[in-house]
Amino acid sequence: MPKQLSVSTLQPMVKMLSDEQVRAIHYATLEILSQTGVEMQDPQGRELLLEAGARESNARIKIPENLVTDAIANTPSRIPMHDRLGNLTMPLELGKVFCGSGSDTTFTLDVETGERRLATAQDVENIARLCDALDNIDFVMSMGNPSDVPPDDLYIHEFISMIRGSIKPNIYTAKNRADMEDIYRIAAAVAGSEQALREKPFFLLYAEPISPLLFPEESLQKLIFCAEKGVPAAYPPSPNTGGGGPITLAGALALGNAECLVGLIITQLIRPGTPFLYGMNTAAMDMKSAIVSYGSPEWPLGMMAQMDLARYYNLPAWSAGGASDSKVVDTQAGIEMTFSIITNFLARATLIHDVGYIEYGSTSSMEALVIADEIIREARFLSGGLDINPTTLALDAIARIRPGGGFLADDHTLDNFRTSQWIPRMIDRSRYDSWHAAGSKDMYTRANERAREILAEHQVTPLSEAAEAAIAEILAERVA
Amino acid sequence: MPNILKKMQTDLYDGDMDAVEAATRKAIDEGMSPKEILDDGLIMGMEAVGRDFKAGDLFIPEVLLCARAMHAGMEVLRPLLEESGVPPRGKLVIGTVAGDLHDIGKNLVSMMFQGAGFEVIDLGVDVSPEKFIEAVRAENADLLGMSALLTTTMPSMKATIDALIKAGLRDKVKVLIGGAPVTAKYAQDIGADSFASDAGAAVEAAQDLIV
Repeated sequence: MPKQLSVSTLQPMVKMLSDEQVRAIHYATLEILSQTGVEMQDPQGRELLLEAGARESNARIKIPENLVTDAIANTPSRIPMHDRLGNLTMPLELGKVFCGSGSDTTFTLDVETGERRLATAQDVENIARLCDALDNIDFVMSMGNPSDVPPDDLYIHEFISMIRGSIKPNIYTAKNRADMEDIYRIAAAVAGSEQALREKPFFLLYAEPISPLLFPEESLQKLIFCAEKGVPAAYPPSPNTGGGGPITLAGALALGNAECLVGLIITQLIRPGTPFLYGMNTAAMDMKSAIVSYGSPEWPLGMMAQMDLARYYNLPAWSAGGASDSKVVDTQAGIEMTFSIITNFLARATLIHDVGYIEYGSTSSMEALVIADEIIREARFLSGGLDINPTTLALDAIARIRPGGGFLADDHTLDNFRTSQWIPRMIDRSRYDSWHAAGSKDMYTRANERAREILAEHQVTPLSEAAEAAIAEILAERVA
Repeated sequence: MPNILKKMQTDLYDGDMDAVEAATRKAIDEGMSPKEILDDGLIMGMEAVGRDFKAGDLFIPEVLLCARAMHAGMEVLRPLLEESGVPPRGKLVIGTVAGDLHDIGKNLVSMMFQGAGFEVIDLGVDVSPEKFIEAVRAENADLLGMSALLTTTMPSMKATIDALIKAGLRDKVKVLIGGAPVTAKYAQDIGADSFASDAGAAVEAAQDLIV
């Protein structure tokens, strides 16, 4: 028999919207932008849009379709995110999936005492260090608002703690343009120069408008700063259903899309080719507690739909998952983290943030991060599909074995067990007696022990002297 | 410790059957005593395997590879050990009980015992009390291992123990039972000497029994 073509592997993927549905949302977005308009409070942003062909009526800026189309065409289809040592570790491209923590929680679960308490700068650094050690966490966010630093310097300290704690790419937040300037100076010192920073970015801004339709000056100025410097930014609005967005997810998606595209247009008007990460947060506002749910099925439903929009625009996208509304790391947390991670993987969400959040994003948990690391590994295994080839079909082994005798000691098993089976690390599959002898530990206890073990052992390449000098200088200037 | 034994331990840990067999021959050629090769080479190597398996660092297929390598070394050593009058580690007669055709778990236990240096007489599946008795007597076994996967076939374990008593062999052999439905309580109730929840535990239990 001549050599035959191999059987290619289907890697299962979920499309949430039909092409027709995608176009319907896109048209609704164009209607919102051109007819309803947005409230642009930043004068520079307003001027940019008007000069480019937007018009103003009834204090709203109304944006025509050609601005949208041109800006999307100018936006890069990939953002090559590097670690802070200059290695390409996170090329944000459609088809790839990367996971990382979330930003700015008020509280953290103390890994030593289990107590829910205000987060500190040291917590941000410790959680970054934990993320640095976890194989399936690709980027770092702050996971805490430090309560022990001057409130005006909060975001500067978050950034410093993140880069001290991890070499992985980070996604940072800032208060205003002054914050942006200081963070940029530190980042340039870490990269070695402004040019190195542009070529090998290791930081990405997370800023957002206020849904619905409001673009505050401070928020716009952060985005404009990134465009001026040519460094990456995301501007995902949060039209949470029933709160910042209509109660129906379709309307929230159309609105969020419009708001996000305004940010995209601004960056491309300032500097065509500015790396801009498309996306939005369309979580459900709970109709009893008014919390924004990080565990509801509408959350991944919206993100999966959003990925179809991203593919329509040929842009990688921001997404979220691996989080929970539960107040503790319990069964609910496990269900909600798994649900959003697996669905994000099946939709090929490019960048999944908020991993390790509990309490609807108000508290960060190291245990949740350790558990999510395992869930991500499992989701990645499943998304890889099932290889069908002569080795995996195992016909020789099937012909060889004695009926009833089993394959456990067959050479085929010995040769292939490591690649054919997913091997658990945090999940426990030991027999009852061994589990009992090892202390009858549940998942939370094991994750807590693992987190503490990592914190005790894991070393991170320190920042250069130049970077530490820039940090000292900026903090001194801020005191003065 | 001579380097050749150290290397034998490493090769054993890596499951390299050919290397272990070759090293065993070489050690004999160099004039080492069979007992030294057994105790300080093969058994010490297998102890490291057992330790790491118990700690969760090794997988069953890896342990089976090690057991296979150990067995290859043992085959070379066995005639010499007999010649020099070194008592064997122990002889196990094992089988899945009457009415039960499940082979896989019992095979795993067999291989683990071989890996630990025991001589194993595997009677296969659906083994009647009479066949067990006959083999225990003919082989002069130290241990009798019985496996059952089904709750419905478990009573055959008790029937075999009763038959051992009747044949006057109960004091000559230690009885070890295992399988999914078997518990320590059941072992006690039917007068078995020990119960093991998995293959690694079976070997440990056996070692405790025949010391």
